[in-house]
Amino acid sequence: MEFLKILPLRGPNIWTYRPVLEVWLDIGALEDSPSNTIPGFYERLSSWLPTLAEHRCGIGERGGFLQRVREGTWPGHILEHVTLELQSLAGMQGGFGKARSTDVRGVYKVVVRSRNEQVSRVAIHAARDLVLAAMQDRPFDLPATLTQLRDMVDSLCLGPSTACIVDAATARNIPSIRLTAGNLVQLGYGARQHRIWTAETDQTSAIAESISGDKDLTKSLLEACGVPVPEGRLVDSVADAWDAAEDIGLPVVVKPRDGNHGRGVSMELMTHAEVEAAYHLARDEGSGVMVERFVRGSEHRLLIVGGKLAAAARGESVCVVGDGKATIRELIARDINTDPRRGEAEEFPLDLISIDDNAAAMFEIERQGFNADAIPVAGKQIIVQRNGNVALDVTDLVHPEVAATAALAARIVGLDIAGVDLVAEDISKPLAAQGGAIVEVNAGPGLLMHLKPAEGEARPVGKAIVDSLFADGDDGRIPVVGIAGTYGKTLVAQIVSRLLHLSGKHVGLACSSGLYLEQRQVEKSDCATWAAAQKLLMNRNLDAAVIENSFTTILAEGLGYDRCQVGVVTNVNPAQHVGEYYIETPEQVWNVMRTQVDVVLESGVAVLNADDPLVAQMTDLCDGEIIFFARDAKLPVVEEHLKRGGRAVVIAVGSLVLATGSAQVPVARLAAIKMLEGVAPEDQKIEHILAAVAAGWALGILPELMRAGVKNFNVDALTAERIDV
Amino acid sequence: MEVSRIRALRGPNLWSRHTAIEVIVSCTEAECDIDNIRGFESRLRARFPAIGPLQLAGRAEAVSMAHVLEVAALGLQAHSGCPVTFSRTAQTLEAGVYQVVFEYSEEEVGRLALELAEQLCLAAFADTPFDLAAAMAKITELDEDVRLGPSTGAIVQAAIKRGIPFRRLTAGSLVQFGWGSKQRRIQAAETDLSSAIAEAIAQDKQLTKKLLSAAGVPVPGGREAVDLEDAWAAMTEIGGPVVVKPKDGNQGKGVTVNITTRAQLERAYAAAAEISSDVLVERFIPGGDFRLLVVGNKLVAAARRDPPLVIGDGVLSVRELVEKVNTDPRRGQGHATSLTKMRIDDIALASLATQNFTVDDVPQKGARVILRNNANLSTGGTATDVTDDVHPELVACAVAAAQMVGLDVCGVDLVCDSVQRSLKEQAVGVVEVNAAPGLRMHLQPSFGKGRAVGEAIVSTMFATNDNGRIPLVAVAGTNGKTTTVRLIAHILGCQGLRVGMTNSDGVYIQGRRIDSGDCSGPRSARNVLLHPDVDAAVFETARGGVLREGLAFDRCDVAVVTNIGMGDHLGLNYITTVEDLAVVKRVVVQNITATGVAVLNAADPMTVKMASSCPGSVTFFTHDRQHPVMATHAAQGRRVVYVENGEIVATQKNADQKQFKQTISLAEIPITRNGRIGFQVENTMASIAAAWALDVDWDIIRKGVSTFVSDAQTAPGRFNFFDYKGASVIADYGHNPDAIVALVAAIESIPAKKRLVVISGAGDRRDIDISRQSEILGDAFDEIILYQDQCQRGRADGEVLKLLQDGLVNAQRASQIDEIRGEFLAIDTALARLEEGDLCLILIDQVEEALAYIAERVANS
Repeated sequence: MEFLKILPLRGPNIWTYRPVLEVWLDIGALEDSPSNTIPGFYERLSSWLPTLAEHRCGIGERGGFLQRVREGTWPGHILEHVTLELQSLAGMQGGFGKARSTDVRGVYKVVVRSRNEQVSRVAIHAARDLVLAAMQDRPFDLPATLTQLRDMVDSLCLGPSTACIVDAATARNIPSIRLTAGNLVQLGYGARQHRIWTAETDQTSAIAESISGDKDLTKSLLEACGVPVPEGRLVDSVADAWDAAEDIGLPVVVKPRDGNHGRGVSMELMTHAEVEAAYHLARDEGSGVMVERFVRGSEHRLLIVGGKLAAAARGESVCVVGDGKATIRELIARDINTDPRRGEAEEFPLDLISIDDNAAAMFEIERQGFNADAIPVAGKQIIVQRNGNVALDVTDLVHPEVAATAALAARIVGLDIAGVDLVAEDISKPLAAQGGAIVEVNAGPGLLMHLKPAEGEARPVGKAIVDSLFADGDDGRIPVVGIAGTYGKTLVAQIVSRLLHLSGKHVGLACSSGLYLEQRQVEKSDCATWAAAQKLLMNRNLDAAVIENSFTTILAEGLGYDRCQVGVVTNVNPAQHVGEYYIETPEQVWNVMRTQVDVVLESGVAVLNADDPLVAQMTDLCDGEIIFFARDAKLPVVEEHLKRGGRAVVIAVGSLVLATGSAQVPVARLAAIKMLEGVAPEDQKIEHILAAVAAGWALGILPELMRAGVKNFNVDALTAERIDV
Repeated sequence: MEVSRIRALRGPNLWSRHTAIEVIVSCTEAECDIDNIRGFESRLRARFPAIGPLQLAGRAEAVSMAHVLEVAALGLQAHSGCPVTFSRTAQTLEAGVYQVVFEYSEEEVGRLALELAEQLCLAAFADTPFDLAAAMAKITELDEDVRLGPSTGAIVQAAIKRGIPFRRLTAGSLVQFGWGSKQRRIQAAETDLSSAIAEAIAQDKQLTKKLLSAAGVPVPGGREAVDLEDAWAAMTEIGGPVVVKPKDGNQGKGVTVNITTRAQLERAYAAAAEISSDVLVERFIPGGDFRLLVVGNKLVAAARRDPPLVIGDGVLSVRELVEKVNTDPRRGQGHATSLTKMRIDDIALASLATQNFTVDDVPQKGARVILRNNANLSTGGTATDVTDDVHPELVACAVAAAQMVGLDVCGVDLVCDSVQRSLKEQAVGVVEVNAAPGLRMHLQPSFGKGRAVGEAIVSTMFATNDNGRIPLVAVAGTNGKTTTVRLIAHILGCQGLRVGMTNSDGVYIQGRRIDSGDCSGPRSARNVLLHPDVDAAVFETARGGVLREGLAFDRCDVAVVTNIGMGDHLGLNYITTVEDLAVVKRVVVQNITATGVAVLNAADPMTVKMASSCPGSVTFFTHDRQHPVMATHAAQGRRVVYVENGEIVATQKNADQKQFKQTISLAEIPITRNGRIGFQVENTMASIAAAWALDVDWDIIRKGVSTFVSDAQTAPGRFNFFDYKGASVIADYGHNPDAIVALVAAIESIPAKKRLVVISGAGDRRDIDISRQSEILGDAFDEIILYQDQCQRGRADGEVLKLLQDGLVNAQRASQIDEIRGEFLAIDTALARLEEGDLCLILIDQVEEALAYIAERVANS
């Protein structure tokens, strides 16, 4: 089993809309050994990967794939399913896969969905090793493989917080581009984009973040605006500490000014003696001593997004109860860490408690007069983590006044997304009556506790964030015009770009003659590529993009955009394309070109050449409208389209006209178009102009503007046409 | 000389609009005239020669030690470079006691100056030494330390020029501009719209390069190197001189340029690796370093930055050349001057070594010797303004770079031969994009013009006609402030504004109380102006706060003075007479905007006088339109509000002699009880005048006054009515003679069989004011119950009761007088005596508790 080539298809491709890994697999002699002929193969495979039973495959029911293995199938097909299963077991979801034979015997194209290229590359290699081991009855270290894959998924894929925002955007048909190997993601295209970085957005103010990082400043701002906070002040002696405690009202908390992990913090102090002891403890930390009101109750995290409460969780104390035999360390291992919700990986809602690395827990236990090796008597309850990270969803319980106060706190600090930490005994009651208080306002809050609460309902916080960035009905898209076909793509792209420019758009153009930003050429190399298209879509200054797609780009990279407003197919000449990438038949060529029509948005338009029968056949693939272009308005396919009220750009009595039903709006006389001077009447250039005008019409550009744009288009500025094969 | 009670007046105050330190200074008899102290003035002048005249020319009054302290405290600051000019000393009624006031620009510096001035006076008195240079250095150092840095300072100054109020939120560079819902924030050259993500992107040089190249901005090619060998490989790939720098670095730390050999690369790699574990190797683009400052979508300044260097003259050594350059008076130590002194330190020595120099070598005439490869001003570099020379293509590049990264204020570092040439004519590379860029090189470049970058930043935050202010009404006066504040706030609320209000009951935001207690001081007002949900502010402005700290705001749109009357709290804080009090209450009038309006009570002579200190226009109000002040004012075409035929009338004669006139029937205004309660009519007139000043629509004003209720819930302690077994019970927190007069007048129109009053006296009033209250009541009530309230405010037990009794000695009407200990018992006693048709006025002290108690008694009756 040899991999001849691995092609990461990063955009919509001939197989699917989503990124996939395409592998050219040569199985050589195994072509003669289907799975049913290899003794013990089925048994080994199904026992190593029992979850393959879930793969329905072509059979359409559970166990379908395994049935095919039993009955006999070929390694390419098996490789596809095993790769998908390994990815799935490693925590990378996505079930699409295909295996297709080519015209060369023993050579297959195997395609698997790939949320991350690096992970999929490793997964498909591991899958090959696994399948070979199963065939050759050799052992295979599956756990080691899965550990490696899981580690890769953890470090390379989007974190769960970011992923939930991206998924919510996808659900709203908002496209996304990952900008770094980390969690920086662009939602939307061009000038309509927003950026997110876990739970920060491009609306998150740096000043607000620095305010939230300064707890004293945050507290004083909140207090000034009447938000309840634990009142308190710095003290410089025991006497001063007791004065402060009496002013504030007992009980109080005494803590170091810059405390962390609870070191030196004493809570719920009632007497002078307690305050005195606590003062010395806190003073030893060296950063100054604070006396604060003790706020009774549980710690709550209220997630505020765009001024509204999106989710709320309550943190519960984590306790162990002594049995008179086990040490606290043992009780933690036995009674806490065995909770199935606890684990090290990011997907677990709760962390394991490792007492020796957890200073806060250590101090909490010490405060109660124990250490990790102490053996509490039976029935004695020891708090291990006060307000620990056991998160219970309480979103529906939050009193509206409390939600309004938390939202005000976020607004005071200036954060669009904030995690407001609030201590209260009962979140369903106003704070004033119970003495509840806001203790912290956090920028970039973790979302996991709301997505996977230990108890209660998961909250659609990703959706809340996306909704705060994009108004209802805004899909973050700029007009994208994609152009495919055998001849004339570059000219069409350049004219459309010119028309958009005239209509006042900041337009970017990626075509085979280079990359242009607002008519300025910034790259001279062939830019009919995935990477060039992505550059345009990343550009915050652009509000329209025109992208040429070569045949090879579609095959070898996928399209640079997920969907487009206008998809143009100029023409298809199969003879120009066959011979590479195992593309041999006109059907296969057609299949590549149709990708451009497949991605047209429901609100978009496919601009198709009615004169070209292969192109005209693509009408049914389009989710949106069709605008035909043709030299001849009498062409049956055009006539019929017009009769149904459709639109077409045609030539009528020497003029280029916009036809709708029986109505016609002239754009320009052919004789008045500069670039057609001296051009023969049958020249394809005329069709290209028709296509460009049709695209312009689809974009809503006014006929007068198109007239000016088309008539004066400077043909000399064009570089020589390329024909790509 | 003894200095006591130091106050920082942080806003416009009694003395001036300046921030100032106010102290009480007691002088011995001898110190009241320094001429009595032999040789003092000459000793003083010997210690501080620049102190200047101690007395105004042509005056002959004695100069006290307090005066000297004043002049010294101001002079020490002024001669240390602080921008201060105002100072004053005022004799109090007590012999030898003075109030000394002097301006400060930074409170801490002002306090230090006071301390040092006192030391100076003592030294001159006792003929002991005083180290003037050390004192001034201390002041300068503290001032540099606490005042805003040059970048923040420039933006704040630009805001001040636009009339935008500002407030520092921290000792650092975090500043709030504007008020309430119109507030914005800056922190050095960051605004509150500067995106955290954009800043993180700017920190990530590789990502920045990727984004910039997507935007068509030229960037130098290159890549990250994992180790030295990899760096060498990268250098080989680039195939020319390279730059090595840490991936996450700033201020040019660890950056080495123009590396051509393996040996240079090794040194450079080590230097970069010290700053960051990730090291970048990039193509070196020869040319100068330029900083282009983009604000919003415009280039606002550009500077060429040159590293610290000396040019050989063939005579002096490197060290001598550096010393010579450093004699330039523009070169200082810190950020205060436009240039900083060059240093010969390890970095400089290393840099010299690469050029084969030691500090003692004498470079040839014309040789450029570079002391460090870093053009920052703070390490001795220079900046030359080139703003007007930048080629439009480079401008477009810088703007595109800033927009692509997403920074609203952005320093774009560009390397090229000349900013005057296009992209085609030279190699150009954007090497870095900086958030929160330093502005000093543009404000005070070493060479060329300074640029208005602060103005540019402010103009991206505030539209041309926006000064960040919200409508602000300040209400002062002896009586009626709280009701007037509430009513104005209510009217503005009817207009759909979210109103923040302070008064003597608390702080209210949109009607919700967020703080309780007496909140009529500047701290509460400042809190309202900080609140993000406030579109308009109405502040009760009590005298205490004005005296203690000054106003919480620099200017207001409307100042209402209800009255001064006989005064209240006289005798405290050196405010002895009604005239003194008027000066305090006048502060709000003096500090209205030029387009603002003072609403003044025409029937109160002290209030009328304030009109002359009003920088804006005046609206007079009182019942009687024929009152001479009213008649004159109206005849002059100015605004007046009065009562006529059961209506409140607001009128003004316009330039074309047409009469503007709006009327609201008193029957529509519940708090006036059909106009029977005179003081509520006055409060309503004042409120209507204030709303008129803010151009509130008349339908809204009408709706406002007709829907305003003042009961125990909404206005506790403000003429709260109860019906107890058919008797009228009125509870009020009136604690001064004017309030009592107004209450008596209001109650007179309510028919009653028998009239009772329950009263205590607040201990913190003058004896005469306490007695005056019972004196008024004794002529208006049949039975009087005196009680001693909980809060004696420093008075001995029974002292206040005695004063109240004194006032009743000649009572015309009162036939029965009782003394009770305890407020609730007094209330019980009064209620027990009431019969149907009687009237009882209870002057409550513990407002909330007493009202709750009365309400409970009424409910159970």
